[in-house]
Amino acid sequence: MASRREFLQASIVALALPITAQAGLSTAAAASDSALRVIPLYKAIFDERFPASVAFGAEAHSLGLSAYSIRGDITDLWFHDLDAQWKKKPVAVAGLTEQGPLFCLERLAWDHGMRVVYRGDHRYLPSDAIEHTLTGPEGALRQAALLENDGWAARVAAILARLPEGPSAPAKIAVRGRAKAPAHAEPEDLISWVIAPVAGARIMRQA
Amino acid sequence: MRIPPGVSEKDFSEALRQFEEAVGKDWVFTSDEDVAMYRDSYSPFWGEPDELVASAAVAPDGVEQVQKVVRIANTFKIPIYAISTGKNLGYGGSAPAYSGSVVLDLKRMNRILEVNEKNAYCLVEPGVSYFDLYRYIQEKGIKLWVDVPDPGWGSPVGNSLDRGGGYLLPQFRNHFDSHCGMEVVLANGEVLRTGMGALPGAKTWQEYKSGFGPWIDGIFSQSNFGVVTKMGFWMCPAPDSYLAGTVTVPRYNDLSPLIDILGYLENTGCTNGMPFFGSPLLARGPLGQGGPVPDAELTALLDREGGPDPDAMDAYAAKKDIPHWSCTVSFYGGPKANQGNWEFAQEKFSAIPGAKFSFGGAYKLPLTPEVQAKFNLPQFGIPSLQMFSIGARSETNPTPGEGHIWFSPIIPRTGEAVFEANRVFRAAAKELGLPVPTFSLPTCYWERAFIFLFGFPITHDVETNKKNRAAFRKMVAIAAEHGWGEYRTAPAHQRAVMDTYSFNNHALLRFHETLKDAVDPNGILSAGRYGIWPKHLREDEKV
Repeated sequence: MASRREFLQASIVALALPITAQAGLSTAAAASDSALRVIPLYKAIFDERFPASVAFGAEAHSLGLSAYSIRGDITDLWFHDLDAQWKKKPVAVAGLTEQGPLFCLERLAWDHGMRVVYRGDHRYLPSDAIEHTLTGPEGALRQAALLENDGWAARVAAILARLPEGPSAPAKIAVRGRAKAPAHAEPEDLISWVIAPVAGARIMRQA
Repeated sequence: MRIPPGVSEKDFSEALRQFEEAVGKDWVFTSDEDVAMYRDSYSPFWGEPDELVASAAVAPDGVEQVQKVVRIANTFKIPIYAISTGKNLGYGGSAPAYSGSVVLDLKRMNRILEVNEKNAYCLVEPGVSYFDLYRYIQEKGIKLWVDVPDPGWGSPVGNSLDRGGGYLLPQFRNHFDSHCGMEVVLANGEVLRTGMGALPGAKTWQEYKSGFGPWIDGIFSQSNFGVVTKMGFWMCPAPDSYLAGTVTVPRYNDLSPLIDILGYLENTGCTNGMPFFGSPLLARGPLGQGGPVPDAELTALLDREGGPDPDAMDAYAAKKDIPHWSCTVSFYGGPKANQGNWEFAQEKFSAIPGAKFSFGGAYKLPLTPEVQAKFNLPQFGIPSLQMFSIGARSETNPTPGEGHIWFSPIIPRTGEAVFEANRVFRAAAKELGLPVPTFSLPTCYWERAFIFLFGFPITHDVETNKKNRAAFRKMVAIAAEHGWGEYRTAPAHQRAVMDTYSFNNHALLRFHETLKDAVDPNGILSAGRYGIWPKHLREDEKV
């Protein structure tokens, strides 16, 4: 019998949206981006309780990333995976979650020379609107306009899968898009994020 | 770069250079980005000029380096502030009590020095987190449990020195009480060992607490008299089995005999798990989970001048056919003993007419992952971060904050005290414009007293934070007027809380200050922590 996590992985494959090739990268953008190094993502975290987050995970999976599901609690992910991994070698993780998981992972990552290098606040508004406020590498934010369209969560995954590496002063942009209001018991805002190693940042805990 | 108050730029530069010699250049942090890591994520002064912040940080890797750092700090009169893992969120986090202090970050001191399975104790350094100790025990197959707080990302040393609590058997839940022996670096750089540790080659440092002569360990908790560099803890041998059961009682006034009987059962060792109170009628779960907003009729009953009328509450409960109170008790031990104790507990609770019981299950330990999912993991010595998924925006929490600080008064272990505290705090919350709790039930960390825990939200809005700070201090004062003292608080409020412990013209604080002047004449260690200020800062009223 499949474990719960294996079942969810199967669900993600089934959900794989036909966005991959059109994930928002215009031909011109793709051409210029091909010269950039992108941050290799170890895992993409999604919260299986929230459809937008599941869509993020599905797209991440279809892009070849390892998608990991949580239900708001990152304890298992951190204790059984990231803690040991980060002590061996800090690796980047991305997610579309509520604030709690990001809050915990950000602080745990500090001791491993890692920082939040990208953050997106996605806030549902009345009348089926959603506001996306993104802070991160300018190169990534060029794609922000794509979030105005349907399937914003999957597009976020595509943006994060190609987040440029290297130091750059973070830029900030806000765009509005269309999205159905969240169902009852879903959060009114989700946060997309990438935590990655930063050159020169102190490492306090090692294997 | 920020300079500590009262220190010249020249002296600070030289001190930093000597800190680098002592611990290595890589472990002295002065850049704005690195020092920002030590901001209190839950600061009630977030973004304001009065926010407590560090000037720099130093991270030694052992007691010898701590001694060097302390001596350097003494030479140049640099205020330093020791932290272990810096996760004391809700009670101050990693920010110093005296703004501009250099944080002494002990996180690199993360050695587990000993875990003795036979005699059930451990000896650890300050940088060892609960997760680290749990992983060590699991990987080595040691049959011991560690009593963890919730969340579990802090350290045994840090949490116990702040007198935090946990979830296992009573002798382990009070984390400071369960420690046995410590090693301390004093302000003059000398190393002191307490208890049996003062006997060279002692064989019982982690087995016999008080050693010989005055038992001084307590002065290093919630204080600034030394830097603790090692601490021993008694651990719980992994129990064989677990059993839980819940008793419900129908009437409003049944809370008093419910608490009294529970007290008897706990104090005689019948129930040894942490009990949890709930209220099916008022929709508070056994872990304090809140339910839907009460209806208008219930609100009116609770808001009655002078407190609810028991007869009216009973009529309401009868109409809803819902009992007023519940208490979940649990047992760790052999399966027959657990069952026998649960039967005895039911016999005792049955003295309350209408008491009903539900069996919560009996389980062999360790729990399987499937069964674990049903429980609060700290009750099984398993650290967790699940708490951070609470507090997210929801129907009952439409405006989540950026954190919280805990208002946590200690009240007597009686029903009368619970009723009175609810009446007083409900009225105070309304007057202060705070969210009014439906009915607050106490938490049972401590064996002989109750604690009430109210989270004051922290936001990133200056005006809201100002209002909440003032309200917090007012609540502290109201609690003190009724004989309920805070047990622990964040640096932002430590002076205000210490002011309430004013017996005999603040004799306790004056005693603390006498000790402080004797053991730390230059006042370099954690100035201001728990309201204890060094002489030069008291006299000038600089703080």
